[in-house]
Amino acid sequence: MVNFIKPLRARFPGRGNHPADQSKESSLPGASWKEQVLSPDLETNLKQIKAILDKCSDVVYREFVFAQNEQIRLALIYTDGLADKTQVGDQITKALALEVPMAVPGQEISKNRALEFIKQRGLCINEIQQTSKLRDVIQAILSGDSVLLVDGHDIAIVNGTKGWASRAISEPEAEPTVRGARESFVETLRTNTALLRRRINSPNLKIEVFKLGEITNTDVAIAYIEGIVNEKLVAEVKSRLQRIKVDAILESGYIEELIEENPWSPFPTVNHTEKPDRAAAMLLEGRVAILVDGTPFVLTVPNLFVEYLHSPEDYYERFIFTTAVRILRFLSALVSLTLPALYIAVVSFHHELLPTTLLLSIAGQREAVPFPVFVEVLVMELTFETLREAGIRLPRPLGQAVSIVGALVIGEAAVRAGLVAAATVIVVAFTGIASFTFAYSASIAFRLLRFTIMFLSAALGLFGLISGLALIGIHLCSLRSFGVPYLSPVVPMTGIDLKDVVFRAPLWAMFTRPRLIARQNQKRQEQGLKPEPPETRPKG
Amino acid sequence: MKKIAVLLLILLLTGLTGGCWSRRELTEVAIVLGTGVDWMEDGRIRLTVQIARPGAFTAGSEAGARGREPASWVVSAEGRTIQEAERYLAMKVPREIYWGHCIILVLGEEMARKGTGMITNFFQRDRQPRENIWVMVTRGEAKDFLETYSSLEKTSAQAAGFLERMKTGYSVQLWKLAEMLASKGIQPAVTAVEVKEAGITPEPDREKKSPPQKQVGLAGVAVFKEDKLIGWLDPYETRGLLWLKGEAMKGVIIVPSPGEPDKAVSIRIRRGSTKILPEYDGEYLRFMVRIRVEGDMVEQQSREDLAKPEKIKTLESEMADELKKRATAALEKAQNEYGVDIFGFGDAFHRKYKKEWRDLKDRWDEEFSRAEVNIAVEAQIREIGLLTKRAGVPEE
Amino acid sequence: MLEQGKIDSRQAILLIISLVLPTAILTVPAITVKHAAQDAWISIIVATMAGLLIARLVTDLSLRFPGKTLFEYAEEILGRVPGKVVGFLYIWWFLHANALIMDEYASFLCSAHMPDTPVIVFFILGIAVAACAVRNGLEVLSRFNQLFLPLFLGLLLVVFILATKDMKVTRLLPVFDKGAIAILKGAATPASWLGEIVIFTMIIPFLNKPKEAYRVAALATLFTSFYLLVSILVAIMIFGPNVTGHWIFPTYNAVRVVSIANFLERMESIAVAVWMFGGFAKVGVFYYAAVLGSAQWLGLKDYRPLVAPVGVILVALAALCENIVELLDFLATAWPPYALSVFEVGMPLVLLIVALARGKGGEGT
Repeated sequence: MVNFIKPLRARFPGRGNHPADQSKESSLPGASWKEQVLSPDLETNLKQIKAILDKCSDVVYREFVFAQNEQIRLALIYTDGLADKTQVGDQITKALALEVPMAVPGQEISKNRALEFIKQRGLCINEIQQTSKLRDVIQAILSGDSVLLVDGHDIAIVNGTKGWASRAISEPEAEPTVRGARESFVETLRTNTALLRRRINSPNLKIEVFKLGEITNTDVAIAYIEGIVNEKLVAEVKSRLQRIKVDAILESGYIEELIEENPWSPFPTVNHTEKPDRAAAMLLEGRVAILVDGTPFVLTVPNLFVEYLHSPEDYYERFIFTTAVRILRFLSALVSLTLPALYIAVVSFHHELLPTTLLLSIAGQREAVPFPVFVEVLVMELTFETLREAGIRLPRPLGQAVSIVGALVIGEAAVRAGLVAAATVIVVAFTGIASFTFAYSASIAFRLLRFTIMFLSAALGLFGLISGLALIGIHLCSLRSFGVPYLSPVVPMTGIDLKDVVFRAPLWAMFTRPRLIARQNQKRQEQGLKPEPPETRPKG
Repeated sequence: MKKIAVLLLILLLTGLTGGCWSRRELTEVAIVLGTGVDWMEDGRIRLTVQIARPGAFTAGSEAGARGREPASWVVSAEGRTIQEAERYLAMKVPREIYWGHCIILVLGEEMARKGTGMITNFFQRDRQPRENIWVMVTRGEAKDFLETYSSLEKTSAQAAGFLERMKTGYSVQLWKLAEMLASKGIQPAVTAVEVKEAGITPEPDREKKSPPQKQVGLAGVAVFKEDKLIGWLDPYETRGLLWLKGEAMKGVIIVPSPGEPDKAVSIRIRRGSTKILPEYDGEYLRFMVRIRVEGDMVEQQSREDLAKPEKIKTLESEMADELKKRATAALEKAQNEYGVDIFGFGDAFHRKYKKEWRDLKDRWDEEFSRAEVNIAVEAQIREIGLLTKRAGVPEE
Repeated sequence: MLEQGKIDSRQAILLIISLVLPTAILTVPAITVKHAAQDAWISIIVATMAGLLIARLVTDLSLRFPGKTLFEYAEEILGRVPGKVVGFLYIWWFLHANALIMDEYASFLCSAHMPDTPVIVFFILGIAVAACAVRNGLEVLSRFNQLFLPLFLGLLLVVFILATKDMKVTRLLPVFDKGAIAILKGAATPASWLGEIVIFTMIIPFLNKPKEAYRVAALATLFTSFYLLVSILVAIMIFGPNVTGHWIFPTYNAVRVVSIANFLERMESIAVAVWMFGGFAKVGVFYYAAVLGSAQWLGLKDYRPLVAPVGVILVALAALCENIVELLDFLATAWPPYALSVFEVGMPLVLLIVALARGKGGEGT
């Protein structure tokens, strides 16, 4: 088996596990400027920058003179659309070209003092940095900051003027809840970190930023809560992120695929969320979040399998209700994995499993059906999957049409024509609905494996079905996510953490954090928080 | 990744090497609901099966439009063994015969007299027929029994099965029969059934009244010695058998009204229990049977007021007498006429006298026939319904 | 060390239950009832005593050599060559026992569920699933077991409770009907099954708390015996001793007759389905022991290369058995003396005595 895989690996070196083999140099042409520094001469600098940013029509160069001393020439460079134009206009250009003389009348500013003066008094910008590296200058321009070059100085002032048109914070589309925050992460990293910080007002919430992607230079942040998180985990996350050497990070999925432990598994071992409250809850349990600029999906690790069957709402609703709903979700997961296979096994192998009347009823429906049940179910499942896929890809106004056609064609016509038994439609529909009751990323894996099990079941009946489940079980048992067994706390069983698997303990009884994740700081809260009516409270 | 590769390999193996060994599509099987076995003159066995016609069992709009089509098909074949007969049957039945949902096994009277052991063996050994098939002996031929029609259920096999399940009479499943056949302390007793004329199905058109239908019904108990039928108990004696076996405490006891003996009072049995206590001193064998019964008064023909403690007492003792009479009737027949222990007295004896049993077990039926049986009944009336006396009777 | 993983006591208990129960519950009741009739439950109690003694023997022996398996300390105790011989015999026994398990497994599935499927399919698929678990090591094997065994145990208990409707306690009377000899005869088979705990010697070194080894073994034995006892009681109380002795798989038949309100019935397929997980686990444990043992016997650094060849040998061995009659006869008559006296009691006892005499190993606690 290993031999069969190896050549595959060799064929895709870029995706392999050996980034060290790759050359450190970027594959882009003209990368020699990267190590260069600015010169004191404005013209030279401008020329160089213009050369680098050649044919970048969105970069704006504004040259003007300092109001205080007209001998001093200034140049402002920013990217149109990324930098906030009012900020640039009011607080940089206007401030330096117009307002300074009024502020300090009659005082001559020498060329040498200009930079210091501009920094101290000239600019009305909140966030400024200075750099002498050409690389940083380019980086700043392209990321929305505006760069001010002062003639005679080999140092550039980087003004934080990021402000581009971005999507407003909206409701989460992929993880809707009835109760709980309606905010969702957006595509801007800074907004996302703000959303997190707003929920966790603690100096212990640490957010570290890296840049990943040789060409895209995407900002990637890891967030964790110091004191709760396992330090080794943070180090591991960092080291896994640092060994990513790819050209582009366009979505957090890129990172997910490059840092997981079991790249061949159908099951995701890195969770993602677009809900800041869920991400905050994950951080509070000792997980690490990875935020990527340009996507609202935030990754959280380590990831347990049960997370996919939980919803953030579980902690906002009453625990009894939550427990009931979770039981429903677990059963749905089982149904979505096995029901079609079970149906195939029963109808084509184990007729003894059904009560007589039910069996006769199914037999009656199937009398006219020309296909074996496996083919029937397979076709229906594929139809269902096609409909589902079409529903996602379709331009929204057309959605109605698809659902009408789907319901009519598949539900009615097929049964009426006698091509499909009504029982099969029920089974497939129920399976489909059941697969929507839990997290999408896990349900993809389940849907895929459902077909495998159906196949086994069609060949060997219940024995095939069980063998398939056993293989999946073994596989799940062997998975780990950042060192934590995927199926924990069920296996290996961590008694105390069973409080939050199927059963959700009341919040006043959740004294500890997950043991295998928050290793160092287990205690979540004081005991004895259970609310009591005043008369039973001990006096004093 | 290895696992995925392994999985793919297995899939390929199972899928491509033409797996599907034991596969039987539902459309390829003939689901047997009832089986009948008759003994033929030439020493062969006639196997009759009632096969469900699945089309009649769907409740769809189309099935409704087609009206009530016949729900079963009865077909027979002969052979030396059940399996041989089944093979001959397979020549007429275009599908694979499937026993997993067989509800009843009916033995023709002649067949039962020749021995049931050779029949039940197949049904226990084969994996498809279940242990809880209802076993019954019909007066006459099993084929006729299966060829009947049911007005309420779809098929007569289901009707017979439901009749048994209701436990209105004595009913026995295959595994209980197997136990009785295997034990020396009890002889088998099997439900007796017959084809009866039962009711009519009225049609909207008054003139077109359908003729009375031949349908299945219970008819007491068939008594066996070893595995051979030797006689019958009528429904009255069957009640006695049920009491002595301590099973299925259901039914009604009719006793004369204390004040007006020509009028009757019905008492419905609520619960009861039976205890058999053997006594043996090496020579003299005696059984004490203690029956306890509780019932509710549900019907009264007389005009008197029965809601009085002393009247209830009288009713209770009459009830006890009646029960005793029933039990004695069954016992008399078993001891004197057939000479077999169908009640399990032998097992009760075995439980108490395990050493003595070893000597007695091989001639148990004779010992049993000679044994003295004392029946003591303790009866109680609990409820009298919603009336104190017959409604509409003027005060005297 | 060949195996890196560690398992906790709870997993070990479940693993030992899997080691014995899945096939024991299938064939043992009929064999025992055939000998001891309604006193079969006493046989099980007797067998439990024997099982506890074997557990004590095995754990005492293992704890004298912490961190070592049977194959390693056999050489240490007896010297290189005799140790190798003992090791070889054990490898043979693991393989043979596993082949028998597969036979029981397949013939049960075959006769009860899928008569037209060639047994070899069950062998191959069963071994393939077990191989997957074994390749992943003891940790994954025991986690897999921990995931599914509770399902099996739970469902069995539920079915037994549902079956109470058809049970009659009087079917257990009279007690001591057949006498002590019959009871002892009946005890031999369950004892030899419980004695399979010898395989625990291959697992003890990987316990995270080896000190608890005896407690683990004893608890597991008691648990297993409890299920055996209950399944025998259920079968007898439903069918009576005569019929129970006639069935090949009485527990299976007991599940088949359960019917509650004409609705909760026909549960045998579900029971068999869940039972299959147990079967995989049982085959897996024996498989693992054989593979790990052979690797140690051959002095390999990794046992994984042996998984495939041992699997092939297992399938071949299992395919040797001709029919179920032969298998049942072997299990009822030849197996108890063969397994019990040689591998489960004989050799461990000899090893322990020699170890004591030569003063090998630390103090067993």
